[in-house]
Amino acid sequence: MDLTATPQLIIITGKGGVGKTSVALALTKHLKENCRNVLYSSFDQLTNTNLCENLEIPFFEITPAESAQIYVGKKLGSKTIASWVMKTPFFKSLFNMIPGLGMVILMGHIIEKLEKDPTLTIILDSPSSGHALTMLESSHNFKEMFGSGLIVQDIERMHEFLYQKQLLKTYIVCLPTLMAANESLELRESFKLLEINRVELILNDLLHMAEEIKDKEEELPDFLKVKVNLEKEVEAEFINNFEHELPHLSVRNEIEMINKLKDLVGSLC
Amino acid sequence: MLRSKPIELFCGTGGVGKTTLATSRALHLAHEGKRVLLITIDPAKRLKQILNLQDESKGEIQTVPLSIFDYFNENEKTFDALLMSPQTTLQKMDFEMSSAPGKTVFDNPIIQILSRPNGGMNEIMAIIEVQYQLSTNHYDTIILDTPPGKHFIDFLQSSLKIEHFFDKSFVEIFRFLGKRFTKKGEKESKGLLGLIVSTGVKKLLSYLEKVTGKEFVNVFVDAIAALYKNREHFLSAIKFEEKLGQISFSNWFLVTSVEQYKIDEASNFHQQAIEFMHNDSFLAINKCLRPYLEDWYPEDKDFSHVKTSMLNRENKIKDFAKVHFDKILDFPEVLGSSPTQHVSELATSWK
Repeated sequence: MDLTATPQLIIITGKGGVGKTSVALALTKHLKENCRNVLYSSFDQLTNTNLCENLEIPFFEITPAESAQIYVGKKLGSKTIASWVMKTPFFKSLFNMIPGLGMVILMGHIIEKLEKDPTLTIILDSPSSGHALTMLESSHNFKEMFGSGLIVQDIERMHEFLYQKQLLKTYIVCLPTLMAANESLELRESFKLLEINRVELILNDLLHMAEEIKDKEEELPDFLKVKVNLEKEVEAEFINNFEHELPHLSVRNEIEMINKLKDLVGSLC
Repeated sequence: MLRSKPIELFCGTGGVGKTTLATSRALHLAHEGKRVLLITIDPAKRLKQILNLQDESKGEIQTVPLSIFDYFNENEKTFDALLMSPQTTLQKMDFEMSSAPGKTVFDNPIIQILSRPNGGMNEIMAIIEVQYQLSTNHYDTIILDTPPGKHFIDFLQSSLKIEHFFDKSFVEIFRFLGKRFTKKGEKESKGLLGLIVSTGVKKLLSYLEKVTGKEFVNVFVDAIAALYKNREHFLSAIKFEEKLGQISFSNWFLVTSVEQYKIDEASNFHQQAIEFMHNDSFLAINKCLRPYLEDWYPEDKDFSHVKTSMLNRENKIKDFAKVHFDKILDFPEVLGSSPTQHVSELATSWK
């Protein structure tokens, strides 16, 4: 297995609120500034287009419904039939009841885009951990469910891209607490069961690494000393599990956050 | 003190401490002598970690003694906890299948795959489970720890989806399965679109067959039929969604945390959720550092920058909160490492 291949699809996941979106946006901006052909995608969630435009971050947005309609249209050879099929209460309900199906088609769409342009990298700001597993597990579920047919052929192509060519790389972002760290390790194990092996962990928001604080820890007030010590306990316990660390950033808003972060995420890949 | 109600919902964007806060509420109410059930729909399984439950316990009600929490050393009091498992919920419903001895809904491969923990049917099964637990009258309060963000809206919408699914699509399916209605000779006279409309579901299924293979279509129709036979269970869940809007029935806690830069997201979320919740709801702000920060007078320039940015973050959340909520609850950051310690300290804040 070639673990050095440049990843074409980079998934950023982890619990909600750990800074996935900031890391994903910062990484996209970093790669873009290094002249890479790169796009940010927030998968099935709404993209914060204002923020992307403000930061000049190129993005790719498509809803699961649009994606499914395009897919069905291609399979049936007619956009009109596809739009009609997708509008029937039956198919509408089917996609609503089984969000995993929409996720598989959306993932297929992203992979097709990457296959067409081998120079392209997509940074996927993925749904939070549990739903990220649904996203990645669904293709296996539907393959098993359908058994044969056109969808299975497509899923096999997806899997070949994701697994055999090793073009997928996943980062799990995590806050420095015991519970969060344990959860991230559990998530990495779940990914392994899906044979997703290029997974790296990022410990984010470390107070003692903040430029305003490092070297001056002794002078901190007690409540922050306690926070710093708790962080360090987590760090010490999981020292062999986390590949990357990012500091706490004292900033006023998201834009400032991403602009600072983009210079720090270079070491990720 | 905040009055408890039959249903209490904890919702909000991810990572804000919904599960920890919901657990602290369960602990507080149980301590007050209420019969409490805590259900988590969050697939991230945080409740399992907090309460140290085993994976095998998924879908089964577990009794949690208050003595596991640091400050509640009472041996006799307990509350119940349930980690949502779509499979177990499905099995509970499954008594309408007696026509085929030994066969259950569960034998259908499609239903089996979809009801896996990450199969994507968590939200819809959760609403059925809650409705079931309500009907047993075992509890004074059922506390719901919901999945993060947009998935909670999905959860709320699931009852609408259920209604839609059984209402519209089944009429189509059974019209087709019940009788044949494609007549010869019609094909030439109508355009393609007209043909599709007139042949309805049969055509739809043939499209499906083309894309998915024939075997799937057969299993699929079986799965649909199995769900249809159990539709009463699904439809009864709709009552739940109606009740959620009643002030006497539910307490809503929208949880947010000062750790996050997600004002926009919280605001969007609030706008979407508001159509489901009543106007007597609470905003719970978690992990507040303000009580500590206000006592800190740094002389160092860098440190005052850190202080300002941390306070600034909290103020932004509060400004947003004041616009939308009359009732705001502050919960301080708990500086401890063990999850039970977090829950214990937060529980004292409910008093």
